[in-house]
Amino acid sequence: MFRAYFPVLMLFGFVAVNAAAIIVISALTIRARPTPVKQQAYESGVPALGDARERFSIRFYLVAILFIIFDIETVFMIPWAVYYKQLSCFVPLVNNACPVGNISFFGLGEMLVFMIILFVGFVYVWKKGALQWD
Amino acid sequence: MGLSGPTERRTVSYAPESQEGWVATRLDFLVNWARANSLWPMPFGTACCAIEFMATAASDFDLARFGMERMSYSPRQADVLICAGRVPFKLAPIIRRIWQQMPQPKWCISMGACASTGGMFDNYAVVQGIDTIIPVDVYVPGCPPRPEGLLYGIRMLQEKVKNERAADKGTRDEMEPDPTSQLYIPPSVIDELGEPFGNSVNQTRSGL
Amino acid sequence: MRTGASASGGEPTTQKNISHRGEPANPSAQALQQKFGGSIKRVEVIWGETVVYVDPSSVHDVIRWLKDDPSQRYDFLSDVTAVEYRDPEVPIEVVWHLRSLPFRQFLRVKSQLAKGKPLEIDSLYDIYRSADWLERECYDMFGIRFRGHPDLRRILMWESYREGFPLRKDFPLRGRFSRSEQLRQALAQNPEARYSMEELSIADAYAELPQEMRDRLSKGERTGE
Repeated sequence: MFRAYFPVLMLFGFVAVNAAAIIVISALTIRARPTPVKQQAYESGVPALGDARERFSIRFYLVAILFIIFDIETVFMIPWAVYYKQLSCFVPLVNNACPVGNISFFGLGEMLVFMIILFVGFVYVWKKGALQWD
Repeated sequence: MGLSGPTERRTVSYAPESQEGWVATRLDFLVNWARANSLWPMPFGTACCAIEFMATAASDFDLARFGMERMSYSPRQADVLICAGRVPFKLAPIIRRIWQQMPQPKWCISMGACASTGGMFDNYAVVQGIDTIIPVDVYVPGCPPRPEGLLYGIRMLQEKVKNERAADKGTRDEMEPDPTSQLYIPPSVIDELGEPFGNSVNQTRSGL
Repeated sequence: MRTGASASGGEPTTQKNISHRGEPANPSAQALQQKFGGSIKRVEVIWGETVVYVDPSSVHDVIRWLKDDPSQRYDFLSDVTAVEYRDPEVPIEVVWHLRSLPFRQFLRVKSQLAKGKPLEIDSLYDIYRSADWLERECYDMFGIRFRGHPDLRRILMWESYREGFPLRKDFPLRGRFSRSEQLRQALAQNPEARYSMEELSIADAYAELPQEMRDRLSKGERTGE
């Protein structure tokens, strides 16, 4: 079963050797000519002013956190969607179809409850103004 | 330094006993061929010549067939600094700094009359040729040079690149400007380069 | 006819066949003469454009009136420049180009400064913000100092330029120093020396900040963006 992954292993090996070779050969053959001006940061030909390490605005962090939360919600929806046919039937499927009269809304209801809980959170975020970019 | 007298760079000797081996020459050929056919230009376009440079890069004259379609506006990834247009004195330290921040190997094409000699602007504000500030490899005359003219200059630069030797230790040395004056060639040479000549000798208008 | 529209009442048209001296003067010229009398030395109409010569000491009041008066409303200062004639007897003229956008009028105001005395005149910075850089350019090229300008320094040449004032008639075309000296001075310029990083980043947006934030900034707090 693991024989199928042998080409992948070879590819990894090749990539690793290639990367190492490029770095090592460059380090051995290059004759570096550093000068003080060359080492400075490039700022359109003028001496660089100020530090590049500035504080970032917190709204980037907010967007990232909100993305994670709703993305995980989406991830939870995926296996549910795969088994939706089974979940909406009271009895096991016969020939990949639900026998007549056995339709249930159990699966749908469960997911709706999940989504409503997260929707409340979404409304809270919205009203608090976390979705305002400025 | 090329103008002040015989060059002091250590050049390759062509005496038979010092001939490089087959491997070294083939390596030189390979490296130079690769460099010449993939010169990434940094367009330092200030004026009208920049438009002609853009025309050369566009489809009618196409720089891409020479491997130069990837313009680099950061000096860090550029091979050739193409100075297209006049350079005022206020811009001089900037082009100097950009040249110094380009990593070796690097070459410079001075495109147009203004970059080569100051052009028609023989006045108080324009640098009389960027070779007073940075070392230039190829001068392309014209006001502005036609795209074919720039392509001729680029071909000339490619020939220059192909004739380099790895054994020639001095080729890829950085220029060292004088720490106090920041000039890299003697002031007398700069004055000589910036002298008016031809018609403009009589058109001084300074004795009013 | 204050509106500048054509006689048919439609779009404004460009006048053709303008004569050298014979065109009617801008009505503002007559209004100025009535209001300021002796300060207005001369009025000329050259190629359809009215030029008003004003005494240097009253230029500020005249132009302030031209901007504020509801019948004049010259709200756009489009140029401040100077003229030095080849004849050394003729004084240097400072020229202001005023445009009235509501009334579509153009007026050129000139003021003569004698050459023997220091070249100084009042700045129009408090009337027009555009005078800021326009007057800096005029100072850089001619050496005319504008009294009351908040930041009079060179703008086209670099700040430590020492050869003089380039557009004066006694300034040689190629400059006074040798090419190597000019290059040496040009390579030694350091425009960033004036400002600190905090000043540069804050100066632009300062006026739009709320007052309490300005207080916090003045106590040294750094912004997050």
